[in-house]
Amino acid sequence: MGNVFSGIFGKLWGVNKEIRILILGLDGAGKTTILYRLQIGEVINTKPTIGFNVETLSYKNLKLNVWDLGGQTSIRPYWRCYYANTAAVIFVVDSTDKDRIDTASKELHTMLAEEELSDAALLVFANKQDVAGALTAAEVSKALNLSDLKDRSWSIVASSAIKGEGLTEGLDWLIDVIKDEQL
Amino acid sequence: MSIEKRIKKMFAQPKKGETYELRAGLVSQYANERKDTIKQVISAMTVGKDVSSLFPDVLKNIATHDIKQKKLVYLYLMNYAKTNPELCILAVNTFVQDTQDPNPLVRALAIRTMGCIRVDKMVDYMEIPLTKTLNDENPYVRKTAAICVAKLFDLNRQICVENGFLEKLQNLVEDSNPMVVANAISALAEIHETEPTLNVLTVDSVLLKKLLLALNECTEWGRITILTALADFEASSSDEASHIVERVVPQLQHSNPSVVLSSIKVIISNVEKLQGEEHEVVLKKLAAPLASLVSTAPEVQYVALRNIRIIVEKYPHLMTNYFKVFFVRYNDPLYLKLEKIEIIVRLASSSNSNMILNELKEYGYEFDVEFVKRAVRAIGQVGIKISKSASKAVDILIGLINERELYNEVVISLRDILRAYPEHSAMITPTIVQSFDKLVDPEAIASFIWVMGEFEVVNYESRLSEFVDQFNDLDIGVQNALVYSIVKINVKTGALKDLLAKLFNNVDKVENIEVRDQIYLYWRILSLDDSSELKKLVLTRLVKIETTIPQFQPELLEFLLRELSTLNSVLFTTTVGKGSKQTQITKIKDVKLNVINDENLLDFDDDDSETSKPGESVNILDELNDLFSSSSISPPVNNSSSTAQIAQNSTPVSNNKNTSTGGVSQDLLDLF
Ligand SMILES: Nc1nc2c(ncn2[C@@H]2O[C@H](COP(=O)(O)OP(=O)(O)OP(=O)(O)O)[C@@H](O)[C@H]2O)c(=O)[nH]1
Ligand SMILES: [Mg+2]
Repeated sequence: MGNVFSGIFGKLWGVNKEIRILILGLDGAGKTTILYRLQIGEVINTKPTIGFNVETLSYKNLKLNVWDLGGQTSIRPYWRCYYANTAAVIFVVDSTDKDRIDTASKELHTMLAEEELSDAALLVFANKQDVAGALTAAEVSKALNLSDLKDRSWSIVASSAIKGEGLTEGLDWLIDVIKDEQL
Repeated sequence: MSIEKRIKKMFAQPKKGETYELRAGLVSQYANERKDTIKQVISAMTVGKDVSSLFPDVLKNIATHDIKQKKLVYLYLMNYAKTNPELCILAVNTFVQDTQDPNPLVRALAIRTMGCIRVDKMVDYMEIPLTKTLNDENPYVRKTAAICVAKLFDLNRQICVENGFLEKLQNLVEDSNPMVVANAISALAEIHETEPTLNVLTVDSVLLKKLLLALNECTEWGRITILTALADFEASSSDEASHIVERVVPQLQHSNPSVVLSSIKVIISNVEKLQGEEHEVVLKKLAAPLASLVSTAPEVQYVALRNIRIIVEKYPHLMTNYFKVFFVRYNDPLYLKLEKIEIIVRLASSSNSNMILNELKEYGYEFDVEFVKRAVRAIGQVGIKISKSASKAVDILIGLINERELYNEVVISLRDILRAYPEHSAMITPTIVQSFDKLVDPEAIASFIWVMGEFEVVNYESRLSEFVDQFNDLDIGVQNALVYSIVKINVKTGALKDLLAKLFNNVDKVENIEVRDQIYLYWRILSLDDSSELKKLVLTRLVKIETTIPQFQPELLEFLLRELSTLNSVLFTTTVGKGSKQTQITKIKDVKLNVINDENLLDFDDDDSETSKPGESVNILDELNDLFSSSSISPPVNNSSSTAQIAQNSTPVSNNKNTSTGGVSQDLLDLF
């Protein structure tokens, strides 16, 4: 009985509702590093993610369900398995990886074309800003053709997962955008 | 991008219906809704619904701190991994993390599931988690990982060997925890079976000590594994054998019948090495545990009975005091009743044959026809085996023929008794003759005809004449008996000239080639001038038979003793099992795999002294003489000695109908 009540009321008040956020991007972009930096506030040693990580974090009274998917070519086709009920996508770009920025752009636009993601907000992290010679956020934005996006809330933030810079800033923006829709 | 397309297709699902709702539940934004849905999916799976299309959505729920939910998802994964092999790699990250979980249950569960997902792609990612779990501080995790090595080996030998997992597994045999030792042995045994050349499991005296120590400490599964490994070990001395036996004997008290049977197997494999009194003492200890197996569930009992049959054949006196244990119970299923009779007849001795015959007599009054038939044959078997019971057996059989009208079966059994004790013919032949009108079974009819030829039976002419008129319609066995008896009567008394002439004149019309050759053969013999030779040739009595209970060939028996408590011991075959056993099988196949009877119809070697010595010109008559005196052209002798037929059948089915003397005719053909 208790379960039923907490279930029903939970649903009514949106108490237990989780907001689903995906972190996508090419392999090595820093997705897993970002996830755990957000969750435990530390830089962890990562290995390439074969599959996915998912963590629940509380942020400004919201329960975020954050999914970090592997970015290797062999895993990218399975990203779509995770699109359902997604409120927002965090797309991480390695700003130092100029060779593959076009690939990143292509993957981004293919993903955004999916119907299931038509309502999802988009936050792009131009990551690894701590490395000298990294593209700026504006340069990344241009390379990704972000200005072409229609009917979508989006933003790009320069970040460094290692130093912990830009992450909260980006997340704050994202929460502001999706909060109203979710409650 | 064909893979992309395929995946797209996979998700082009209908927007209604059960699957749609389940999918929605699996990606719900509420944790408890997801969990409830997973439960629904699992229950649909367990009732056999195909929920494989939900694979990716179920898989997403694998990363959770809720261990119940994790278990369910793992369960689902093991079930459907094969249907979605590519998607399995999405679980790798979680597996690897779970094998580092603080909770040992999660670690064990993860490595177990990884091993059970028999998908090639998974193999590439197993090295780290498997290495980690094999070295885990928790024995439960180690023992689970040990089994996983065998699974990996089965899936990909190369990776298993290259990563040194076999050595790691062998190290686990030294583990401080007996369950880990047992599982390591079990895994090694499995690997050894598929790839004996790697020699991963060689029991030496060091390992032996470990095994014997672990034996008392582990679960029944572990015990069975260890005992199986022990059974393959050759003790190097009688002291060592004695030590093994001493350690294993306490296991005979175990409540699990499989542990008991495996222990018996180990003891039997060592018992021949024991010296002096110990040999007998140890053997005696086996009787009560074996008898106790006969009070288990019917299926288990059946396995036990088949094994007991093997053991009893090797050690005939082992169970004699326990013969009553094998008396059938009214609610036994038929297959048990039949198998119990097999044991009973083998346990019959001069001290218990009275009681056994009385028991078998009661079976003869039961309802189940097949059971009754078997009982009738058993009465004959006991009567033949124990000479002092022969007349009692005959009395019972004659009683049964009158009260139960079991004409066919009784006539066959009586014929067998006549083969062993011709002196009882005065008592037996009248019954057989009176039953004639009721006989329908060809073997019974053939028996009747044989008895007519063999013993003085009056008023036969008209009956035989009827048979000769419809010769080609008769069963081959009946044809054989008919030819045999007509010739015999003719040589003995000079009667039946007409019938004989009819046979010879119509020989070309005989359809069966072997029977036709037989008639030709007799024709030639009868045309011989020397009438004393002729009489000797035709009138010689068949060799006395000593038993009609089938026995295993010695090689097969030894093989089966080593295979106790395996499928081979139940089926009496040598063919079940692979790998190392293959060599043994071929060895044994060479020695002709059949059940023999004391009387081997086709064995011409032990003929009497009349056989021509080498170098002398071989007189064809002598040869024929030998053939006949060694009972080659016999009437259907007894149904269990049909060597040629049983040879085709690797199981010793003793109720084979003996209908042909095919092998003999073939040899005769070669002669001419
Ligand atoms: N200098 C620098 N290195 C970073 C930063 N973020 C991540 N890295 C490094 O980049 C490497 C890859 O990071 P991951 O977080 O594992 O990358 P990922 O996106 O999860 O990669 P996949 O799981 O293969 O898709 C690691 O060595 C990180 O330490 C950053 O902001 N600056
Ligand atoms: Mg990663």
